[in-house]
Amino acid sequence: MRRFPYLTLCVAGGLMFLLPKTALARIKLITLPVRERVEIQLDHPSATLVEEERLVPLVKGLNQVDFSWANTAIDPETILLRVLAPAGDQPLDARVLSVSYPPNEAALVWEVAASASGSARVRISYVLGNLSKSFNYRAVASHDEQTLTLAQYMRLQNFANEEYAASGLYAGFGKQFLRPVGLNETKEMLVERVAAVPIRKTYTCDPAEFDYLDRPKNKLRVPMHYVLKNDAANQLGRAPLPYGKVRIFQDDGHGSTAFLGEDWGQFTPIDDELRLFLGVAQDIVVVRTIERNHKQRVAGNLEDIDVVIKYELENFKDQPAVLDVRENLRYIRNEVYRDTGRDVQWVLGPETTFAGGVDREKTTCEQVVFHAELPPRAAEGQAAKVVHKLHVTLKNEW
Amino acid sequence: MHTTFRRLVPGLIVAACLPLATARNIDLSTVPHRDTVQLTIYNSEDLTLVRETRVLTFKQGVNPLQFSWANTLIDPTSVELTFRTQPDQLTVLDTTFPHDKPQMLYWNVQSDFDGEATVEISYFTSGISWSADYVCLANADETQMHLDGFVRIVNRSGEQYENAQIRLVVGTINLVEKIAQLAQIPMDKVDQLREAVRSELRLRAARGIMKPASQAEYGSADEAGRLDEAKIIKEGLSEYFIYTIEGTQTIPDGWAKRMRSFEGEAVPFRIQYRYRPQEYGDQLVRMYLLTNDTPSELGTTPLPDGVVRVFRDNGRDGLSFLVAQTIKYVPIGDKIELNFGPDPEVIFELIKLRAFRDNLWLHIHGTDLFRRADDGAFQIDVNSTVAGWDDHEIYTQRIRNYTAKPIAVEIRRTLPGHVVFRSALQAKLHDYQTVELRTAVEPAKRADLLFEVVRHQGRNATQHNVTLEDAAVQP
Repeated sequence: MRRFPYLTLCVAGGLMFLLPKTALARIKLITLPVRERVEIQLDHPSATLVEEERLVPLVKGLNQVDFSWANTAIDPETILLRVLAPAGDQPLDARVLSVSYPPNEAALVWEVAASASGSARVRISYVLGNLSKSFNYRAVASHDEQTLTLAQYMRLQNFANEEYAASGLYAGFGKQFLRPVGLNETKEMLVERVAAVPIRKTYTCDPAEFDYLDRPKNKLRVPMHYVLKNDAANQLGRAPLPYGKVRIFQDDGHGSTAFLGEDWGQFTPIDDELRLFLGVAQDIVVVRTIERNHKQRVAGNLEDIDVVIKYELENFKDQPAVLDVRENLRYIRNEVYRDTGRDVQWVLGPETTFAGGVDREKTTCEQVVFHAELPPRAAEGQAAKVVHKLHVTLKNEW
Repeated sequence: MHTTFRRLVPGLIVAACLPLATARNIDLSTVPHRDTVQLTIYNSEDLTLVRETRVLTFKQGVNPLQFSWANTLIDPTSVELTFRTQPDQLTVLDTTFPHDKPQMLYWNVQSDFDGEATVEISYFTSGISWSADYVCLANADETQMHLDGFVRIVNRSGEQYENAQIRLVVGTINLVEKIAQLAQIPMDKVDQLREAVRSELRLRAARGIMKPASQAEYGSADEAGRLDEAKIIKEGLSEYFIYTIEGTQTIPDGWAKRMRSFEGEAVPFRIQYRYRPQEYGDQLVRMYLLTNDTPSELGTTPLPDGVVRVFRDNGRDGLSFLVAQTIKYVPIGDKIELNFGPDPEVIFELIKLRAFRDNLWLHIHGTDLFRRADDGAFQIDVNSTVAGWDDHEIYTQRIRNYTAKPIAVEIRRTLPGHVVFRSALQAKLHDYQTVELRTAVEPAKRADLLFEVVRHQGRNATQHNVTLEDAAVQP
């Protein structure tokens, strides 16, 4: 148990404490005003601001207020002393005249002029290193994987070599906490728990991003994601979701939960989707083959390339599934032609079979997205093979 | 005697025996104390001009003086003795730097009278520096801020100048050698490294601009007992700006002292979001824009280079730390731009919707005739390669505003090459290859700025500039 805080505020009054003499005089009587209130602001991405409020006894005239922070990682350039406005019946008015920094010490000396003797309420704020926050999430999906309960935690790690009694802790969103912060302590606090957040379970194949599961057999890797949309319609959307680890469990239908996996949740702005990778779906098989690669000369060395990609899809699950088929047009051109460095000029051909056409929201100049509905396997275990084709013409290549 | 005296360096001794530069071991001397001292500190170089005055009693004839500066960082080539009183009756006959006593010199002064005179000794020292910094406290609405400017003086010169008048010079002077380097070299070695005009240049640079101010009587009021902040008086001088700190200050060796140089109580500012990759990187950043002028409650002084630390009233009876940023010198009337980096509540996306090529030109070359070997059939094939084309890229610049206020956005995109920028966005050219767009986005709304970039390539490229075309663009 530490007897003295490392952050010390000392006050001495009177003219005897003028700087030159102070530098030499080591015998002095000081008062140690205690912290009345502490606020720890965690709303900056990389800096933690601590605000302390103290009642500082001052004498009329000049006062010397020492502040020292031995063995802590205070950024001395950020230390502010603000004298709060005196109350109506309090005549004391105080003002900081100057700040002096002694050599080779983590300390400073404020010279404060007071209009009368009495206590001044001051706020001292500083950016403190090694007092950091991070976020993590725990998600419990319903048994039918239609919704989940998302709990967001803020983890505060205090390696700042300073302890604080009950302090206000605020991350810039969510609720404010009032907690003591001990030395070398890690404290985890529930910021928010949101129930019934709709989830979309997606299976995606994209050779450019997820590669092949079995290249000689042209089998694509099909990762499974839970997708949450950070908007009000999906019970979220009050603030961006900060980066953090998400541990995902599922209600096992027997009053307990099973751990499904974990992923790093990326920073997710409002209205954006948080995609959580849970693992590779082995029961959805996608065989991708390039069925046609036909160059058609336009003139000189200018060519169009006609490409048909065939997908043979099988769902061995006993539930229907929707597969997102995603293709990167540059990737296709590199496969059938070469990397010219130019943008791919492309048009869809009439042999494309995906019902509903392209997903216009997700399709861009570089990427095309389709959705394929896959029926569940039959009762006897056989999966129906669904065949789709993507017909695309790459134009004006050379 | 010398052992105790070293604590008082730089010191002046009036010797009682003549001449000094002889091999005598028994001396008698008096030590006149400093009456006033003035420090003129430059922030662009490790340079401080010290002027101190002392009252000496001269006797008619030659008066030897010894000046020493052990354990300090004084440039020996800069030490100069002048006479504030009776200048026409006192003359420095010579200055001697003894080879066996570094950091010491002797003056022989010819006096035409018996009595007191005030002398001024000036010299350059290194180890004293000053810097500016600023603290901004923005209100919760982010419309006004309290802006404090500070100066911080650091004394690592090895000497304590008590009750010194302090002047701070804002500006860049020319030095041909570093004072700290000269301070480490005995006088008899200085010639080996210097140019003939070095000393003269430096003296002209630093002493010259100080001349008007040095005519004034300086500091006599001690800082003791002062219950107000020391005012800092600002005045322009040539290409420099001088801050004179009211009264006197004592900054012990090794200490630093920070004082407020100006204060703006309610400085108005506006917020703008900017995309300028060359200045701020490939991101939309949030800026505070204010002006160093009188309507903004500033404009009393240029703002020297320094770090600005910005806090904001977080609306919960506390502060939030926003940023620490270095600003360059801001003249009176110029803008102050503070960059807070990306705002997580404003999403900025550039989406390329479509790309295509047209206006394709082929270069025909060589023969165009091919003959099949087996049946001798002829085929005419134009042997040519693509030599020119236009790349069309259609983009939407999407901005989503999740803040509680409308935001103003300015976008600058540099498009190298021969480019046509087509849009209905009332774009304008910032320069010959940079397009500037401005828009406002209401809270919880999304803006999609559609535009087409046509890049003339190969032989089609005949210019290196951007042409704006006002036309609707289809996604």
